[in-house]
Amino acid sequence: MQADATRPGGERQPLVRLRGLGKTFGPVVAVAPLDLDIFAGDFYALLGPSGCGKTTLLRMVGGFTPPTAGTVTIDGQDVTRLGPEKRPTNMVFQGYGLFPHMTVRQNIGYGLGLARVADTEREERVRAIMALVRIGELAERKPDALSGGQAQRVALARALVMRPRVLLLDEPLAALDLKLRKQMQEELRRIHQSIGGTFVFVTHDQGEAMGLANRIAVMEAGRCVQEGSPEEIYRRPKTRFVSGFIGEANMLAGARQGGRVRLGAGSAFDDDGADGPVSVVVRPEAVRLGAVDADVRLEGRLEDAVFLGPYTRYRVALATGEEIIAHASDGRIEEGLAVGAPVAVGWSRADQRIVEGT
Amino acid sequence: METLRRHAMLGPAAAVLGLLFVAPFAFLFVVSFWRVRTFKLSPDFILDNYVDTFDKYGGSLLFTVAVAATIATLTTTLAFGFGYVIRFKAGRSGNALLMVTLITLFGGYLVKIYAWKTILGTEGILNSALLALGLVAEPLTIFIYNPGAVVVTLTHFLLPLAVLPVYASLRGVRDITLEAARDLGARPARVFLDVILPQCLPGVSAAFAFCFLISAGDYVTPRYVGGPYTSMIGDFIEGQFSLKFDWPSGAAMSFTVLAACLLAVLAARALLGLARPR
Repeated sequence: MQADATRPGGERQPLVRLRGLGKTFGPVVAVAPLDLDIFAGDFYALLGPSGCGKTTLLRMVGGFTPPTAGTVTIDGQDVTRLGPEKRPTNMVFQGYGLFPHMTVRQNIGYGLGLARVADTEREERVRAIMALVRIGELAERKPDALSGGQAQRVALARALVMRPRVLLLDEPLAALDLKLRKQMQEELRRIHQSIGGTFVFVTHDQGEAMGLANRIAVMEAGRCVQEGSPEEIYRRPKTRFVSGFIGEANMLAGARQGGRVRLGAGSAFDDDGADGPVSVVVRPEAVRLGAVDADVRLEGRLEDAVFLGPYTRYRVALATGEEIIAHASDGRIEEGLAVGAPVAVGWSRADQRIVEGT
Repeated sequence: METLRRHAMLGPAAAVLGLLFVAPFAFLFVVSFWRVRTFKLSPDFILDNYVDTFDKYGGSLLFTVAVAATIATLTTTLAFGFGYVIRFKAGRSGNALLMVTLITLFGGYLVKIYAWKTILGTEGILNSALLALGLVAEPLTIFIYNPGAVVVTLTHFLLPLAVLPVYASLRGVRDITLEAARDLGARPARVFLDVILPQCLPGVSAAFAFCFLISAGDYVTPRYVGGPYTSMIGDFIEGQFSLKFDWPSGAAMSFTVLAACLLAVLAARALLGLARPR
């Protein structure tokens, strides 16, 4: 992936620059050589299913896993050969990694002690960071007397107190239950805004990536398949995998021949590109029902309609056996629709994406 | 009713402990204040036995504590090194190394003493090798019948027993805490001192106490490889009970050794405790 030149400040130096960075374990390619730029102030998500290499990538940035190819540059300094103790990064580990023999205060102050920060400043910084992540009252506890959410906050404080140029978070919310996860997500956003740092986190949860990050790199099988803002990735997914992984998407099989795409389910339209199989991706909220005037129009049968409050979710079966999901918040179209009855679906060509392959 | 039943369940264990441990212990403690008249124990309340212990065997007591401390320090250090290698460096062969350690336990205590006699003796393996290599003209006598031989033999015997508690505590150290320490700026030496060592203090002090107590109480090893000048107190205590039939003196000496050991182990633990975080 190349740095996006069109984004604001795109001509600046990236804070973290990965070039040809790759890792193989024997014959297994964990991360295929990739380029990635992370800018100061970014809240950057490495998103992908488990085993896609995102944690390995994060660990290479942090210095825990030596890469087998490429370089890591942070703030203009090549840190590829440096250990984690010499990098301007700090990590929040998935299992937290709190020191069980130290109190919360000692855990948080440990790094500052190593950096020979004077006692008074150290105390002040520890106190301030505990206030920021709201764990002031836990200062004298030992890690085994903390709940999962509390341990998470301590781990966050221990890394943040070092004022890293880049904060790395490995699946920061994975171990928390749903309610805590939502709460911590808001906390993380608040903390990122209040200190204005650069955060890079790994997640397999697209909702988390969309909710937190301003940039997302989607990874699949050791490769970065798309990089961009959440909106870009949602609206213009580059591959079938990305469109399926980010949000809900309808995918229809078709084929392109001589600049014209013909869908298996009927309908055809012009589209330049190489001949071969393609997939047409369209989001449920872009699909209109009973559409008379649409660029792409298909006939089907209404299988199901579920009222979900803000919108109604319709499931339409096509003759090919494929299904189209439509979300409609317009109450009027419900009239004249009956489950089991034929219905037309359609969408505007601007709302669809065509990706190669099926 | 419920509590009564629960107490009843404790009965057998309490009986075993009481009969075989507490009762003899208490009896000997009482006896240590008695005296012996014409080869018969006679109840009394005198402190002479304790005074005698310090008068006659004070030097031997100090020597015993010194030898035991040497053995315990040496063994615990070696065990820690070995456990550390198994835990952090050996990878998959770690289990095999642990297995080998356990297998050496099958060779009995006396077998090991005789093995070291065979190795260190005047006509032993070590001397034969030195002679064959032409390094010495005649057998050296410095290897055996001195405190050094006792230290070597007991260290060898105790090592696998010390590895177990140390390794168990090292296994409880999670890799992620080491990575976290490095992430916060700790070099390998600091990681070791601040994170690994404090987390396995319980195992280390257990191994130390164990080695110390066994060494301080042992009277067989010094007798076989220690020579005439290695007068460990266990040897004297054994003599009081068997040859001299002076139970009160033997008991007083035993309790003195016990107290000295307790002090030494507590001191060692306090010393190790300095490794705790500020």
